[in-house]
Amino acid sequence: MELILVNVIDGLVTGLLLFMLSAGLTLIFSMMGVLNFAHASFYMLGAYFAYQISLALGFWVGLLIAPLIVGVMGAGVERYGLRRVHQYGHVPELIFTFGLALLIEELVQFVWGKNQMAYDIPDILNFTAFSIAGNSIPAYKIFMIFISVGIFMGLLYVLTKTRVGMIIQAALSYPRTVEALGHNVPLIFMGVFGVGTALAGVAGVIAGPVLGTFPGMAFVLGSIVFVTIVIGGLGSLWGALVASLLIGWITTFAKSYNIAMSDILNGIGIATPENLSDNMFRDLWTVTSPQIADILPYILMVLILIFRPAGLFGKRES
Amino acid sequence: MSTAALELTGLKKSFGKAEIIRGIDLSIGKAERHAIIGPNGAGKSTLFNLITARFPPSAGTVKLHGEDLAGLEPYQINRKGLSRSFQITNIFPKMTVFENVRCALLWSQGYKYSFWNLVNRSRALTEGAEAILEQINLLERRNLPAGTLSYAEQRALEIGITIAGGADVIMLDEPTAGMSHSETDYITDLIMKVTEGKTLIMVEHDMGVVFGLADRISVLVYGEIIATGKPEDVRADPRVQEAYLGAALEAEH
Amino acid sequence: MSDQLTTDPSKPAQRMRAGSMTLTLGPWIVAAIALMVMPYIFTSNSALTIMNQMWITVVFALAYNMLLGQGGMLSFGHAVYMGLGGFFCMHLMNYIEDFGLAFPLPLLPLFGGLFGMGFAMIIGSFSTSGAGTRFAMISLGVGELIAACSVIIVAFFGGEEGISGDRTYGLPFFGVEFLKQIEVYYLISFWLMLSAVLMYLFSRTPVGRMANAVRDNPERAQFLGYSARWVRFYSFCASGFFCGIAGGLFAISYEILTEENLNATSSGVILLVTFLGGVGFFFGPIIGAIAFTLLQTVLSLQTELWAIYVGALFLATVMFFPGGLAGLMMMHVPALRLGKASGLVMPYIKTLIPGAIGVLGVCALIEMTFHFRHAAKGDHEMTLFWTTFDSHTVMPWLIAGIIAAVGLGVARATAPAMKEAWDEANTAGGAS
Repeated sequence: MELILVNVIDGLVTGLLLFMLSAGLTLIFSMMGVLNFAHASFYMLGAYFAYQISLALGFWVGLLIAPLIVGVMGAGVERYGLRRVHQYGHVPELIFTFGLALLIEELVQFVWGKNQMAYDIPDILNFTAFSIAGNSIPAYKIFMIFISVGIFMGLLYVLTKTRVGMIIQAALSYPRTVEALGHNVPLIFMGVFGVGTALAGVAGVIAGPVLGTFPGMAFVLGSIVFVTIVIGGLGSLWGALVASLLIGWITTFAKSYNIAMSDILNGIGIATPENLSDNMFRDLWTVTSPQIADILPYILMVLILIFRPAGLFGKRES
Repeated sequence: MSTAALELTGLKKSFGKAEIIRGIDLSIGKAERHAIIGPNGAGKSTLFNLITARFPPSAGTVKLHGEDLAGLEPYQINRKGLSRSFQITNIFPKMTVFENVRCALLWSQGYKYSFWNLVNRSRALTEGAEAILEQINLLERRNLPAGTLSYAEQRALEIGITIAGGADVIMLDEPTAGMSHSETDYITDLIMKVTEGKTLIMVEHDMGVVFGLADRISVLVYGEIIATGKPEDVRADPRVQEAYLGAALEAEH
Repeated sequence: MSDQLTTDPSKPAQRMRAGSMTLTLGPWIVAAIALMVMPYIFTSNSALTIMNQMWITVVFALAYNMLLGQGGMLSFGHAVYMGLGGFFCMHLMNYIEDFGLAFPLPLLPLFGGLFGMGFAMIIGSFSTSGAGTRFAMISLGVGELIAACSVIIVAFFGGEEGISGDRTYGLPFFGVEFLKQIEVYYLISFWLMLSAVLMYLFSRTPVGRMANAVRDNPERAQFLGYSARWVRFYSFCASGFFCGIAGGLFAISYEILTEENLNATSSGVILLVTFLGGVGFFFGPIIGAIAFTLLQTVLSLQTELWAIYVGALFLATVMFFPGGLAGLMMMHVPALRLGKASGLVMPYIKTLIPGAIGVLGVCALIEMTFHFRHAAKGDHEMTLFWTTFDSHTVMPWLIAGIIAAVGLGVARATAPAMKEAWDEANTAGGAS
């Protein structure tokens, strides 16, 4: 029982982190129709910038300023890069963001080198909040949960209760109409892109100490974020939340409970073959849930794309 | 009575709560030239899309030569002999004019998904395409990318592609939209020439074209057909005059 | 009507057919001759290895472009089809070795192709219903899945060490046992020519033409009697076939396949290669593959930062010339036709050469920054452009900075003149 609670908390942390990344991505897609492959790269930049700032000014200043820098960079990318490529079509846009992701990874290595940075949890948060059945829950994780939930609340408030939010929602679906009404839609696009990437930056700032700050961190998380928004439904914020939490919990539970495939197969009545090391299917028999934990999201995505192509909450394609 | 080329029975279509097509019954005979007119927003394009299975109807049936088209995909309907053009020019802009027409001939000449024939080598394809180009008067433009043609030429190409496959029921969606007087006359002559002996269903706004081409007219207002019949009869119908800006009907003639 | 043995000039159709066949045959013959002759020009073993890698990449890139350029389908996980074909061939190779089968090695890529196609049929059955984002996402998911499975399913994929084998156990092919690198070269060249010709011809078949049509306007294609979904499916399977052939060639050449051949990085590289070369022309991927292989092998020897330059080049391609290198080349065709291309030579020299020098200056600055920041403590010397200098003094930085500024400045200043010359070269009439 207690183990379940630990996993619930762990999964929640992962899921909310994933949500911060996928929320920005799905908003950007919804508005501009472009899947920003470089989104996880901004996440990485957030971590690195925060690290660099924290060396001089401390963690909290880093938390405040790094996302802003990332957001400004994101807006710049939209204004000078994406907008230019937009005229060529969707495929070049995708390829552009892909190339950008590559370049950012190389640039990060250029500036900071290939090793992991010593980006650590700030001392005030470096203690155990409480223990469940011998597993200690670090206070930092609770902090991560609070920040994520706070951001989500803020986002929800801005989008649904403020005027700017209304305009953004309208521009999400009918940019031309909104433009005809006199709003500066290109500015809105730039703003949404900037905010989306800033969100990714925040995720990087708080995840950096825990998941490690190294040049490969964008790559590791990048495709999972895509999987998340596809499962949730492209363009749907609620979908992103549900899918993120789902994936967070599924992967956490799969990793912590060591369920072996052989047990399942035995359970449904198929006996383990005798000479397992020579058997062609030996890998299938020996696979355990931690091994496949990381690919479960992909399996889920492929299934969803086959049976419910619009995702859990997505709008049906016309 | 022979089977109608196209028969619509109780056709309805709603998008959410908005009922666009409210129940249409229409029967169009073989080799008949039928025009559908009506004010903007009446549902003419939606009707076309229903017939060609761009989306399924909410109720009612569409029968082509007596065969129910329910559940069929657009490409299957096309193979049964129904072809359409689009209101917004829908050609292959990056291909040459010649290739556009040649692609339209591929299925009807039985090539299907073959990867063992080379299209350049087929004399039947080349000559067939040239014949069509001749009919639509674009033979000199054959090697230009289709996207570089003038608007009227593109519309002519669109019509060429539509009839190339040998379909016997041709549906044209506002073929003369956006054209000048002389261009309109030219396209009208073209349509008359290429749809000789075929069933033609046309959505049109230009009354001159309608009266010149059509054997019968249907008037579509708010998703319902309020009148069907010979052009002179429809023109004289008071309901039509009232619903469809009677002044416009008078002004043309 | 008489048979088409006699070309009747008055019949434009026949004249066109005969004419275009001889015209298009030319490049192929030149290419075949070049392929055969190149080992005698570049004789070193490392040159042979580079060329082998180039040709394998060409086959892969051409197969990839069947989807991207011809079909308008962007696939993010395409390396799996090449990888799977390769792994299958490796197993086949080991099978031949273990059981002494009388199987000639040259036939191996064919089976790689069939295996790749088989997988493409399975995946394509559900992935090709859409062409845009949905297709891209499924390809990404499937690609990641299979790459991840490759670490788990050790029986087929060999885990961390991959699967290795020995190609010399096959039935000797006219006495050749493929022990020597040059024999492998000619085998790869043969399959390269065969695959390229087949892929080219495929684009000229009904399904190939309709693939273009479906790419440009899927709705219109429906009303020509073609199911867009089936057309995409056939393209997908054909692409999978040739990817599998590339995998088989890889297996023969390197005698080892690992998880790296399947992963997202490989998929990303082939996308880069194809796009860099130019997706709008058949020969685009060929140029891209050659250019990229050269950049990768030659540049990586000169600098650790070659990936940055390639990445920047890639971004520049997307932003400024999305037609790729092939597009850049073909852009000059109208000027050549008008006979006015010679008017471009001087403006190009005046603008592009200073520009190139300026770029090199920037690269020098980047290199020096990298060295300054990351070299071991006390190691101040670095070599760049055949000169050795101390990166911690001001002089080199100043020189590089000036070169960069001057080069780019001159390029900027002469650019309007180049634009004028370009316009002039592309308009008919006027002085030639």
